[in-house]
Amino acid sequence: MGARAENLARMARAATPTLLGVFGALLLAAPLRLFEGAVATPLLPLVVVYFWSLYSPGHLPAASVFFVGLLQDLLSGGPLGLWPAVYLAVQYVAISQQSYFLGRETHVVWMGFAVAAASVSLILWLFMSLMSATLLPVGGLAYQMLTTIAVYPLFAVVFGNLHRRVIIEV
Amino acid sequence: MDVLGHDRREVFGLKANSHTGLLLFSLVSLILLLSSLYAAEASVFKKARETAMETAAPVLALFAGPIGWVHDRVGDVSDYFRVLEENKALREENAALRQWEDEARSLRAVISALEELDAYNAPPAAKPINAFVIGEANEAYAHSMIVNAGAKDGAEVGFAAVDERGMIGRIVDVAPNASRILLLNDIQSRIPVFVEGSYVEGLLVGRSTSNPTIAITMLANGDRIEPGQRVVTSGAGGVLPRGLTVGVISKLTEKEAIVELSADYARTRLVRIIDYDFPQVDEATPEPVDESVSAPTTEDAAPPLTATAPAAQAAATPPPADPDEGD
Repeated sequence: MGARAENLARMARAATPTLLGVFGALLLAAPLRLFEGAVATPLLPLVVVYFWSLYSPGHLPAASVFFVGLLQDLLSGGPLGLWPAVYLAVQYVAISQQSYFLGRETHVVWMGFAVAAASVSLILWLFMSLMSATLLPVGGLAYQMLTTIAVYPLFAVVFGNLHRRVIIEV
Repeated sequence: MDVLGHDRREVFGLKANSHTGLLLFSLVSLILLLSSLYAAEASVFKKARETAMETAAPVLALFAGPIGWVHDRVGDVSDYFRVLEENKALREENAALRQWEDEARSLRAVISALEELDAYNAPPAAKPINAFVIGEANEAYAHSMIVNAGAKDGAEVGFAAVDERGMIGRIVDVAPNASRILLLNDIQSRIPVFVEGSYVEGLLVGRSTSNPTIAITMLANGDRIEPGQRVVTSGAGGVLPRGLTVGVISKLTEKEAIVELSADYARTRLVRIIDYDFPQVDEATPEPVDESVSAPTTEDAAPPLTATAPAAQAAATPPPADPDEGD
């Protein structure tokens, strides 16, 4: 294997979290309608941003987070800059709490994610209510966030294995 | 079982970069957010949305294929369990439809008699553009769909979109090969509607819940609205054709009438975009649009897209020079 192919492989590995975020944003724009629309589509980019900001921020630079959020905004037709701001805030909080969360058990990190998701919901609800000048219903948002929180452990296991075995390749 | 990040803290990942990038991009997104609030319809943002939609359309179409396949299989299984009640409902519906068929046949006879008299000008037909749903905003406060028909197929901003049950929304962004439909329950959606039976005109306002509402003002004779009355588009403003099925009044409160939509957004897959030309009143020679429907007919029996509205209220959007409209 030449040096060039090796470089390429390394780049692909380094870009995996970003690509996963992009995939999540695309999934949010796809007509998934899980169980005939009974289950909300989980916010996969939020999981990606939280996970890699906590465990390895170097693999998910702020530019990637910004791009993923912007893509989500562009595809959903909402105000531009909302999701980048939200995801970057999550990244900031995750990085600042890194020293607390690193090395803790899975459920502690999961609780951290739940708190982050709840804060994100509050910000989104406040902002969208302000923008539309009415108090918007919270049901749909709460349901989507709860779904996301519920699937977090599953993605954490998958991402954890991916990170250990593929991306850093110790 | 080691915990992720426990004993390998120093080799874990690349060296964390400084906070400058994070702060920089946060600043950029806040500025972007503020400017997009002040100028939501600015051409730059619109262009960006359309470009992103156009670029993502092939990928989304790629996703939509397998998703549709799975839905069909799942649908088959759940149909199997519901077959008895489904049969019963279908039989009842069939009986009701037969009555409608009789009525339609007699009306057709009347119309052909009138056409022979040459005193009848058909209203301009709305040309449908068929499209598949390839994308959907799965966010709590954004209700829109992306379909695979765009400017190249003749779609334009403002056109109505219906599925086989009723109206689903209105086109807000058009790219060459894709367009975005703002659904009726989005917080930004405003559609002029008309309540059959009570002759009330109003605006259907999205509330970000599954059921939008009609805001009732003092002048609107809202007390005549009753649950169960049909809600159709009124055609006021000349953007949408009159008489598209929207839904049924389900509940009344003091200020609002809550409308249960005919469309079921969880099932919408095939969409018809209605290319509607507002009849120009001042034109001297009204020419009925010829029936060169270029769209492929994927549905064999299409529902009537422009149901005739009650004659008493048809004065809002009169077809040009229509002599038997004057009663």
